[in-house]
Amino acid sequence: MKKRLSMVAVAAATTLLLAACGQAPDETTAGPTPDSPDTNTSTEDPGSATVDGFLPCIVSDAGGFDDKSFNQSSFEGLQQAAETLGVEYKQAQSDTEDQYAGNISSLIDQGCTLINTVGFALADATRAAAEANEDVYFVMLDDSSIDLPNVKPIIYDTAQAAFLAGYAAASYTETGVVGTFGGMQFPTVTIFMDGFADGVAYYNEQKNTEVKVVGWDVDSQTGSFTGGFEANDTAKQLANTLITQNADVLLPVGGPIFISAIEAINDSGKDIAMIGVDADLYETADSGKELFLTSILKQMKAGVNDVVTQAGQGNFDASPYVGTLENDGVGIAPFHDFESKVDPELQSELDAIKAGIIDGSIEVVSPSSPK
Amino acid sequence: MTIDAIAVSESLEKATVRSWKTPISFAIFTFLAFIVFVLFAREDQTTFQLSPDNAAIKIPLISISPVLIGIIVTVLLSAATVYAALRAQAARKTPLWITAVFAFLFTLSFLAWAGSGSSLNITQLLVSSVALSTPLIFGSLGGILSERAGVVNVAIEGQLLAGAFLAAIVSSVTGSPWAGLFAAGVGGMLVSFILATFSIKYWVEQVIVGVVINVLVLGLTSFLYTAVLVKNTDTLNTAARFGRWKVPGLSEIPVIGPVLFNQTVIVYVMYLAVFGVWFGLFHTKWGLRLRAVGEHPQAADTVGIDVNRTRFWNVALAGAVAGAGGAYFTLDSVSHFGKDMTAGLGFIALAAVIFGRWNPIRSTLAALLFGFAMSLQFVLGAISSGVPSEFLLMLPYVVTIFAVAGFVGHVRGPAASGKPYVKG
Repeated sequence: MKKRLSMVAVAAATTLLLAACGQAPDETTAGPTPDSPDTNTSTEDPGSATVDGFLPCIVSDAGGFDDKSFNQSSFEGLQQAAETLGVEYKQAQSDTEDQYAGNISSLIDQGCTLINTVGFALADATRAAAEANEDVYFVMLDDSSIDLPNVKPIIYDTAQAAFLAGYAAASYTETGVVGTFGGMQFPTVTIFMDGFADGVAYYNEQKNTEVKVVGWDVDSQTGSFTGGFEANDTAKQLANTLITQNADVLLPVGGPIFISAIEAINDSGKDIAMIGVDADLYETADSGKELFLTSILKQMKAGVNDVVTQAGQGNFDASPYVGTLENDGVGIAPFHDFESKVDPELQSELDAIKAGIIDGSIEVVSPSSPK
Repeated sequence: MTIDAIAVSESLEKATVRSWKTPISFAIFTFLAFIVFVLFAREDQTTFQLSPDNAAIKIPLISISPVLIGIIVTVLLSAATVYAALRAQAARKTPLWITAVFAFLFTLSFLAWAGSGSSLNITQLLVSSVALSTPLIFGSLGGILSERAGVVNVAIEGQLLAGAFLAAIVSSVTGSPWAGLFAAGVGGMLVSFILATFSIKYWVEQVIVGVVINVLVLGLTSFLYTAVLVKNTDTLNTAARFGRWKVPGLSEIPVIGPVLFNQTVIVYVMYLAVFGVWFGLFHTKWGLRLRAVGEHPQAADTVGIDVNRTRFWNVALAGAVAGAGGAYFTLDSVSHFGKDMTAGLGFIALAAVIFGRWNPIRSTLAALLFGFAMSLQFVLGAISSGVPSEFLLMLPYVVTIFAVAGFVGHVRGPAASGKPYVKG
């Protein structure tokens, strides 16, 4: 009797296990045999069938895949690519900064042939893993410091889009002061602030106005930072400080810190607009969406989807993917509720500036721009 | 204040030790002031705004020249340094008010220098200081109660975090911030029970227990946050917050009014807590017993006080007070809990306990100093003062180190703090 019971248990457990891995129709029986980057995969026909044993994976940074920001959109890009290719994928979420290296090596052990590492903070761990595992491809988001044949950086020239947002903010402001603050002083953060401040300066030049930027100084590269990417009291007090400096447009750069800014704006009782980053926060924010003048978009979903799909079809190369206004890798979101409140001329002016940036007649350079 | 052992030992020190610490610190700061405010003076005027935009009684904007202020302040600081040196020579202490005025003048000149060419809203700077120091003050009160009773409380961080966590959940579920505040106290107390049980009943090294508790609470709340709260943000993690409540009349006083009397309930509770702990510790039977078991448990036992019982419940109370401070994060500041949202402030509260020499009033002042440094950091970042942001982020901690090491130096805590009481 006892024996039979345990057999039933084993059977049940096996069924569960099988059910767990039975989702992929074409589960490859052979072990993962990743092609070395040196093999001539590029001679294969583009758009050809999926590379045998291709297993794309992703590691988040400490923000987690539910951050409503770049981790989430990168993850969605990966899911989309996996669906197109008809392959499985694996993900590893980092809850703290010390898990990056461990998560990457755990994914390698699980047979991943391509690993997306999301965020500047994972650069060191990615470099180490890429050097040790030459037969695994890496896609490094938001950092281009690694120059290895099996690492493809995906980076964004967000200064271009932030420039447009800065121009829009300068046009919208009534107090003549606009503010920005960041999570930490990383190049991927300050590039937004540089573009924003330059956009305001360009507006001042064109319209002969004196709109002031508080919270960031392009020349000295100093400004306001909360010291982390948490929506905490520090972020709120900092937003509050900018509000008392009379800013009526705020650009918080750094994942969820915008949530604290929303609370600060609500508490101030003043009429203050916000500019979102990464995604169109009007669409994704849980609350306070009516405050968003626009958002600076960084199309990570599209970027990751492109790169992973191509790699899955055997077309991996290590040249950086740079998202710009030209390839729609970056952009700004519609004004939504502010449509009626902004200058009717603004949209056409922005279109002209966008064209100018694309053809090079307006130069947007930030010390943090992709080289 | 009653005459206690500390006061006696201080007066003994006064009589015998010739301390040069004050004049030397003064000299360093005066030199610094001369270099920065006079030699590297900035030309543009600084505007000080003393009343908020919607104040009933408006104080006109004050524009001053940083150069002029710099020179005047440097002269005054030099005078104070000479005075302090003369006092030290005569083996006498420099009065505290001189140090306070010194610090005020230095800060004033620094603000004028850093804010050159822009406008500084002093009221907002102070409002923000009080807000930022609120959890620190609750935390340090928790530390004082526990340590005065003889149990080292390194777990303030955990108590704050547990308080913030429970406050967010309970306030979200019930829709009442008051229920949230109560839950915050309960959360802190639960953490204290662990501390008290291990350190009083099992005689485990108290610092170790405290550190472990902090890690435990951080891990537990982070896990529950990811596993439960993120998926149920609307029902479990959207707390009802306390609104600001103006004290009629008092809130109209220029500068002080908005800073002290236009705050949320948590801040008013804090005022009561500071007074309550101070009065209770030094003017009631309860306080006498609490201090007795922390200073000399054998003696307390001899006169019939149940030492371990007294310690246990006072540590629990300490946890409740610190936990209530955690409510600041989720019921006053932002209306949701986030991973590690206390961000190490519990340790700063611990520093404030020592800086304040286990005295509620002095610890409150220490916490306010930290809050001010933090608030100043934001303002300096916002006005593009040219100070690198990494340095600005360090500022509050640098101030704390200077405060604890430079101006406090050697302090003597409750004698039996950290030592389990073993009868017999």
